[in-house]
Amino acid sequence: MNNMTLYVKKDSPVHLVDPLTKLLFTFFSITLTYIVSNHLAVLLILLCTFTILVAGKVFKYILPVIGVSFLLILSIIIVQGFFHPDRETLLFEVGPIPIYKEGFSIAFLITLRVVNMVSAFGVLILTTKPDDLVNALLRKGLSPRFGYVLLSVLQIIPQMIALTGKITDAQRARGMETEGGLWLRFKSFIPLLGPVILNSLNETRERSIALEIRGFNAKGPRTYLHKHETYRYGLHLKILLTVIFVAVVVWRFVS
Amino acid sequence: MSVLTVTNLKYRYPAQDKSIFALNDLSFTVGKGEFIGIVGRNTAGKTTLCYALSGLVPHFFKGAYGGDVHIGVMDVLSYEISDIAAKVGLVFENPFSQMTGAKFTVYDEIAFGLENLGIPREEMHERIRASMQLLDIEGLGNKNPFSLSGGQMQRVAIASVIAMKPDILILDEPTSQLDPEGAEEVFRVVGKMAEGGMTIIMVEQKMEKLAAYADRILLMHDGKLIQDGKPAEVFSRDDLELYGVEPPMVVKVSRTLQVRNEETGLYPITQKEMPAELDIAFHVVETSGKNTNTTSEIVVRNLHFGYENGNDVIRGLNVSLQGEPIAIIGQNGAGKTTFVKLLKALLTPQRGEIVIDGVRSTDSTAAKLASRIGLIFQNPNDQIFKNKVIDEVMFGPLNIGQSPEVATENAKAMLELVGLAGKEEENPYDLSLAERKMVAMASILAMDTDIVIFDEPTMGQDYSGKSKVKEIIHSLYEQGKLVICILHDMDFVADTFGRTIIFSEGGMVFDGPTREAFAQEDALRAARVEQPHLTQLARKLGYEGIILKENELQTANMFE
Ligand SMILES: Nc1ncnc2c1ncn2[C@@H]1O[C@H](COP(=O)(O)OP(=O)(O)OP(=O)(O)O)[C@@H](O)[C@H]1O
Ligand SMILES: [Mg+2]
Repeated sequence: MNNMTLYVKKDSPVHLVDPLTKLLFTFFSITLTYIVSNHLAVLLILLCTFTILVAGKVFKYILPVIGVSFLLILSIIIVQGFFHPDRETLLFEVGPIPIYKEGFSIAFLITLRVVNMVSAFGVLILTTKPDDLVNALLRKGLSPRFGYVLLSVLQIIPQMIALTGKITDAQRARGMETEGGLWLRFKSFIPLLGPVILNSLNETRERSIALEIRGFNAKGPRTYLHKHETYRYGLHLKILLTVIFVAVVVWRFVS
Repeated sequence: MSVLTVTNLKYRYPAQDKSIFALNDLSFTVGKGEFIGIVGRNTAGKTTLCYALSGLVPHFFKGAYGGDVHIGVMDVLSYEISDIAAKVGLVFENPFSQMTGAKFTVYDEIAFGLENLGIPREEMHERIRASMQLLDIEGLGNKNPFSLSGGQMQRVAIASVIAMKPDILILDEPTSQLDPEGAEEVFRVVGKMAEGGMTIIMVEQKMEKLAAYADRILLMHDGKLIQDGKPAEVFSRDDLELYGVEPPMVVKVSRTLQVRNEETGLYPITQKEMPAELDIAFHVVETSGKNTNTTSEIVVRNLHFGYENGNDVIRGLNVSLQGEPIAIIGQNGAGKTTFVKLLKALLTPQRGEIVIDGVRSTDSTAAKLASRIGLIFQNPNDQIFKNKVIDEVMFGPLNIGQSPEVATENAKAMLELVGLAGKEEENPYDLSLAERKMVAMASILAMDTDIVIFDEPTMGQDYSGKSKVKEIIHSLYEQGKLVICILHDMDFVADTFGRTIIFSEGGMVFDGPTREAFAQEDALRAARVEQPHLTQLARKLGYEGIILKENELQTANMFE
């Protein structure tokens, strides 16, 4: 996390795609999984997203995130499988809890959607520099204030990691044990929470002063340090994505 | 025509007592191309004045506001910060707060303000390169702004504002973390910009430099303007110390010798103005070695460390630290902070070992070492994480097993020692940077460790703050503790430390008595530090040796 971003620097065709196309992809990919309710279709979309991650050479970076959301997923399966109102066909039992097919089927669908959502965001965030994304949006006329709010949202995770590291250092420098077994680490996590939240609020305030004083909210025309590399296939890709999106929507409501 | 007019400016922070004003009825004007220095003790209101001149007060910091600030024809109250930012540049006291977090390389960070101003791309590149060259950070363009040393970050902060070429440039203690040569460089650059028509307003504790570069000095105290005059006039005041300002060394010497300019009756304020023939003698007073307290011992063998692979920051260090207080000096980014973090086991050596009183640091953890070795961080914001001063100071003592009663007592005593008695219940974030640094110091001292390491304790401190630090260091040594201190203030080093280590590029270029250290001209140059002002003055007056302390000067009238 040396760079304070989630962006992974790699040489890949996905990295070359312009931020807005990727943003469009992320948006379409996520909404489509909610528009269609067919397992196979959602699975297909997920496979597409995975393929893009692989092509972007960042697939392995998304695995831990999926891993973390696995806990969430597991609880969805149990809750839906057990409590879903149309309990008819018993599928299997987890210990004493019976899991019914109807509920499981829905839980499975939700799982696919969640994994796809995480991965689609992965495509955007892992292969796009956050400042490139914000600049691309500013160029399209987004207000700077909104642009930097978006940036700080994108930066929440790395910012929290950096802050946690800093506070852990401050704490262990003054005798709080943070190194050692899992339990110890877990125990030391709790006194971290308060300071991390407190400090991040303060940092956010400081950053906003820093932005103000450098005129980020200026009304005049702004310029950009880096040339806007117009991605050759940007328009084609955008059209393609829109066509697919519209096609799926039409298919969904006609059939 | 004046570019800046301040009339009856009054301001009170929202959280402040009704009777206290951070700025209390200030009036002055500044002409184009003037270089104004602002001096005064730590709570005088200098930083608040900087905020008021750049529009942060009253637009960002609300509170009670009265009077009027005009920038050219623009009145600060009715324009927005973004309009003001195009004309007025502000360099913050703490460079860490200046980083926008919106950019991921130093180069892009400097570009940020220029993009907002709408500067054409070609010119942008030109300005960035020029300002990086002025601040000597050309090699850092691709680094992340947050993985820089304190001094490097301060350089980036200055470069990012200079590149915007504001009409008025406000700098709040811009050289507090710079190595001596870097500080001189900043003054030279800024002085040149003033000649080119930029108006400079600079808060500083380095009086020598202000004396040499400023056109006018504003002396502030408790939010009021005490004097607005030429440097020679302000620095010739005999009550300067009352306002927490230590006059330049030349003035101190002139005071004792009663050397005055015949026409004006003022003291000379720079070495250049000092007459070469003076009724003065020098004699070296050896104090080091007199005290032979035994302290803890740190032995470092063949130490190697780097943040990134293949890029060592510490390159094969061997040293034994024990006995009298030790000063570490050296250029920004030399690896001083990295070194002390290794000693404290916050970083793990890649090769070599650190042995503290016979125990290898790698066999212990930072937490276990906490009761033995205390480190006061360079940036207090990295150290402070509680929202009440007293809780912050008690955190360490409680962790290392002091009972709540003892810890409270210790904490109160230490806050008293650093001059913060009565601020126990305040939120550290509402305190000034200098006060926060003191909170950080108290919170380590309260742990009563055998070894105390200070990372730039004099940063941002005024006269009385520095004297306090000096006393603390002496008394720690008297209690038999090992004191190690990283510093950029050579006068302070000369006055306080018997042993000095000169760091340069991850290694030591000298380790020995301070008097010898300041005789090593090549090593000093390599490490981009300079001799103490007193030493330079004695040289100028024809003394060949190294003079470190004021009691080494003898004047004829002292014998009368
Ligand atoms: N977290 C980090 N990640 C990567 N590089 C770092 C990090 N911290 C410091 N560095 C680099 O290591 C080198 C030494 O930094 P260090 O902070 O030890 O310098 P220093 O001597 O304390 O300087 P200063 O006088 O400016 O405080 C610098 O080149 C700096 O850019
Ligand atoms: Mg340092």
